[in-house]
Amino acid sequence: MSFESFVALRYLAASRRRAHVALISTISILGLAVGVAALVISLSLLSGFQDRIRAQMAQRSPHLRVSPIRGATLADPARVAEALESLSGVVRVDPAIEGRGWASGRTIESTLPVRYRNAPSGELPPAPSGAPPPARVSASAATRTRTAPGELLTITSSRTRLSPLGPIPVAVVVRVSDVRRASALERTPDVELPEETARLLSGIATGARAYEARLSDPVRAGVAARAVSLVLGPAYRVETWRELNAPLSFALRLEKAVIFATVALVIVVAALTIVSNIALTVVEKKRDLGVLTSLGATPGSLARIYLILGAVIGGTGTGLGVAIGVSSSVLLDRYEIVSLPADVYLLTHVPFAVHPGEVALVAAFSLVTAIAAAVLPARAAARLAAGEAIRLSR
Amino acid sequence: MLAVKAEGLSKTYMGEAAPVTVFQNLDFELEAGVFAAVMGPSGVGKSTLLHLVGGIDRPDTGRIEIFGESLDDLSPRERARFRNDNIGFVFQFHHLLPEFTAEENVAFPHRIAGVAAGEARRLAGELLERVGLGDRRSHLSRSLSGGEQQRVAIARALARSPRLLLADEPTGNLDADSASVVFGLLAELHLERGMTTVLVTHNPDLAKRCDKIFEMSREGIAPATGFSG
Repeated sequence: MSFESFVALRYLAASRRRAHVALISTISILGLAVGVAALVISLSLLSGFQDRIRAQMAQRSPHLRVSPIRGATLADPARVAEALESLSGVVRVDPAIEGRGWASGRTIESTLPVRYRNAPSGELPPAPSGAPPPARVSASAATRTRTAPGELLTITSSRTRLSPLGPIPVAVVVRVSDVRRASALERTPDVELPEETARLLSGIATGARAYEARLSDPVRAGVAARAVSLVLGPAYRVETWRELNAPLSFALRLEKAVIFATVALVIVVAALTIVSNIALTVVEKKRDLGVLTSLGATPGSLARIYLILGAVIGGTGTGLGVAIGVSSSVLLDRYEIVSLPADVYLLTHVPFAVHPGEVALVAAFSLVTAIAAAVLPARAAARLAAGEAIRLSR
Repeated sequence: MLAVKAEGLSKTYMGEAAPVTVFQNLDFELEAGVFAAVMGPSGVGKSTLLHLVGGIDRPDTGRIEIFGESLDDLSPRERARFRNDNIGFVFQFHHLLPEFTAEENVAFPHRIAGVAAGEARRLAGELLERVGLGDRRSHLSRSLSGGEQQRVAIARALARSPRLLLADEPTGNLDADSASVVFGLLAELHLERGMTTVLVTHNPDLAKRCDKIFEMSREGIAPATGFSG
């Protein structure tokens, strides 16, 4: 143990005999612990929700999407499909037949603009012969068109066809087979249709606007995207499910950053008590600092004593806070202590997920803040006039 | 060889109401190996002179050389290292660090020099044996008597075998018996280690037992007349 650590630890241990210093030290440590615990619990709560949102995102979005840089449809859809199918870990490759139109329920007031596309093959129930094709409708579209499963919905395309009366819009009547609930920021179409219906509405008889693939492991999407880009060249845009949901991902990251910045203020306030605690020790130990200088201690060495003191207080508070925060989060999640109405939130309890990287970030922030708080009094100790300190302490 | 050579020293402190000039243009020289006493009335700057010579305070003007090394030419870090290797301080109020044991206090100069903890403790233990406090090594400094505390302070000052020992009224706060013991110890160690020692004292009897006596006044410092060494 270095001379500086030896002195710092002894000062801290001996502070128990100085009630005022002991009280401030305890407040500093507890303040830091509370701040760290609050931050760990807040981030775990957010991670719990966000992990579920990301899992749904990965489940509902295509993991890879290849579209042309120029033009509305793929110039060589077979080549794109082949490139995607040749990837390792690919589960399914589907064409994307998309377009815009209007959906209307039973009344004219219930008409609204919608985005439609083909549902992945096999996801919609087969329609009986002669019956309207099935459609999966988003919850918001279902609400605004006032339709429920089993009811009819008219999808009118922006595309027109010639008739004896002139150009008229292409329209298809579908039966709502399912209503899908999704978060507001999730990038999902308003209406999902069988491929033939989507082709009819969009006018894309063959080919596709894009091709989409699902992977066995969504985490590998980035690597797979680079591989497909290399094969297809610069004429194609290859996007992963994270890029396709970029606004939502950004919102989730922003939410976490704002919570971090807000709750971290508790740690900053706790650090202010560390400043006062260490400044008090510097004043009380002025004579000792003068004596240590007379024994040959350098100004840097005196400053290090107080930086170490800050680090020890910071380390203790941080360690305590991490222990409280992590154990509370784990217990809250494991025993589902905070319950939610499942019909409102799709979840039965508030989920908590402890991410080691985030805990490490909180711990590092707390420790750095505590040491930074000690810098000012440590510099004062280094600049101390030793002769004067000894002269005035007689 | 000169142990101390100080030329044109001036020092002014900022007092509460106005600056206080302690001395101006003071010269002081001391040969190596001498046990010198410095006497003079309170407030003439005896302690300040020791602090300047020891490099824990800086003069406003003037130069100080210790064994030919100019303190002004050294950086704060180099001056600290020089002090650790060459200069020992004993203060009137011992100034032991109260949270530490006698042994830990004596080991401080070694720890500051980078000596490993175990070795520093061993050396400190030997020195405490030498000053007659071998059985007190694990006692906290505040639990020792005044005389014992000052003997621990002497052991601490001598830990790094300094060439120059600066003692600022080390007996000023002790009863006659303890003062005699502490002075006797200083005199013994001075001879034993071949050091140069500067002792500030108000006690003429102790001063007379030194090799040389300096008298300090507002006018400066000069070898005393009227004392027989």
